Formats: sequence, structure tokens, C-alpha cells
Amino acid sequence: MSAEGLYRLLLRAYPPEFRAEYGREMVLLFRDQCTESDVRTVGFWARVLWDVARSAPVLRIEAWCESTRTMEVVMKLAAMLTLLVGVLGVLNAGVDAGAAYMGTIGGMHALSLVLSVFASILLLVAGYAILRPTEQGRQVARLALFASLALIVTARLLHPWMSPFSQLVGIGFPVAFLIALYWPRRALSSGAA
Amino acid sequence: MVTKRRAGRPAEAYLPLPPATFHILVALADGERHGYAIMKSVGLGLGPGTLYGSLKRLLEAGLVEEGGERADPERGDERRRYYRLTPLGLSVVRAEARRLDAMVRAARRKKLIGERPA
Repeated sequence: MSAEGLYRLLLRAYPPEFRAEYGREMVLLFRDQCTESDVRTVGFWARVLWDVARSAPVLRIEAWCESTRTMEVVMKLAAMLTLLVGVLGVLNAGVDAGAAYMGTIGGMHALSLVLSVFASILLLVAGYAILRPTEQGRQVARLALFASLALIVTARLLHPWMSPFSQLVGIGFPVAFLIALYWPRRALSSGAA
Repeated sequence: MVTKRRAGRPAEAYLPLPPATFHILVALADGERHGYAIMKSVGLGLGPGTLYGSLKRLLEAGLVEEGGERADPERGDERRRYYRLTPLGLSVVRAEARRLDAMVRAARRKKLIGERPA
């Protein structure tokens, strides 16, 4: 395999978008380097590998951070869904609470319903806070999600009956959002290069 | 081509510049150059990955812009992409040069350079 062929293989370490934009220029530059250096020496390839090793991972991370901007849109849509789930949760708990007043459910069940109502309200708060693109909004969202998760787990422990769907929504939503909110992001004030 | 300019940001907000970035901007101060010419001008053994990674960030920051594609008359081979400083890029490289100059003067006052240390 020629030196250029080998370098083209090494270029696969870079993100596809970067290769598409600068790959041809990089190969031209490498060709220039080849005409000036002895490509059969270890030193030449050590420099080439060092250049790839120190630049490719950084560009991969940057490309990944760019893609997380799409994540912001997904987060907004998910936050609106959370608001909807919160409303439905409150309504559902309201219906069950109505049944409790009719005397058809026990005390623990009633208490778990009250906790579910608060958990749903906290989901509403979290959904609203996520829609606010500020660090304070994110803090409020995290607190509300933690509290909602704690309440729903307590409600589940107090009254073992809870539909799989309610458990999936009540526990799955806060956990998924907490992971998304704690996911590391690129600093906004990064330097020029 | 990526052109996400950060309008209204003062030149000082970009400082300090990473060494490779500063060298690239200095290389472009004379006029537009292609990648190989920048690399030769920098003379620090900058590899293609580091060079084009830095150029990509400089383009995104609006410090450098593309000046078209053409063959280098001296090399007479394939068409190459040329890069040049923007007015913001020129302000930033000047500000960084002033900052480094002030540091060198401070080092000289403390006799760290300019004469043999005691």
C-alpha cells in the first residue's frame, strides 16, 4: 500500500463531515510532505500518527457536541410531552381520589394517590422549567424531577398496585430527563480555536 | 462552508490564542495562502490534522475566510483552497501580538531575557 493510501485510511479517524470538508486538502498537504520527507523513516510516520492522534479525538468530540444541538430540540419536545403527562397524571389521580371519597379504596391507596398528584405537579413544573433555556431553569427542573421520582417511588411502596404504564411514565420520565440534564455539554464561552 | 460568526465580540475576548492558532493567523497576515503555504510559513511541524482542525475553528469563529480555489502557480498542481484573514481576525492577531509583546517586555524588565541570568 502506498503512503498516501495509508494516510487515507488514517483519515477515517476524523469525523465524516470534517473529512468531507477538508479530506482532499489534507491529502494534498500530506502529498506535499511526502515530497519533502523520506516516507520510509519511522520518524516521518511517528509525526503523522502524532498529528492524527492529537487532532482526530478533539474533532470527534467537537462534532459530537455539535450534534447535541439537535438534542436541545428533542429536549423541548420531550418537555412538552412531560407537561402533557403531568396534566394527565393529575387528572388520573383526581379520578382515583374521587373513587376514594366513595369509600372503595383504602387509606394507603389514598395516600399514594395524593403523592402521585404531587409527583404529577412536579413533572409539570419540571416540564415548564426545561422549556426555559437558563441555568436556573435547569436547576429547578433537576430538583423537581428528583422530588417527583422520590414521590412516585414512595407512592409505589405505600400501595403496591400501580399499572406498568404508570410506573414506566412516573419513573422512566424523571430518570430519562435527569440523565439528559446531567449529560456534559460544551462550554458556551469556548475560545476561537 | 461553516460561517457561524460571533458578531460584536471584541478582539480581546478571543485571547489568549492557542500557539498553533496564533501562528496560522500570523502566516495569513501577509495575504491569502493555501494550507501548505501556511504550514511552511508556520515552520513548527504542524500536521494536516492540526492545521485544518484549527482552520475549521477559525472559519467558524469568523477570524478567517475562504478566498476561493485555484492552483498554486509555483507548484502547478491541483487546485487548492486559499484562506485569508477577516478584519476581525486581523484585530485578534494584533491584540494577541500586543499581549505577547507586553509579556516579553515584562520578562525583559525582570531580566529573564535579554541578558545572561545571574
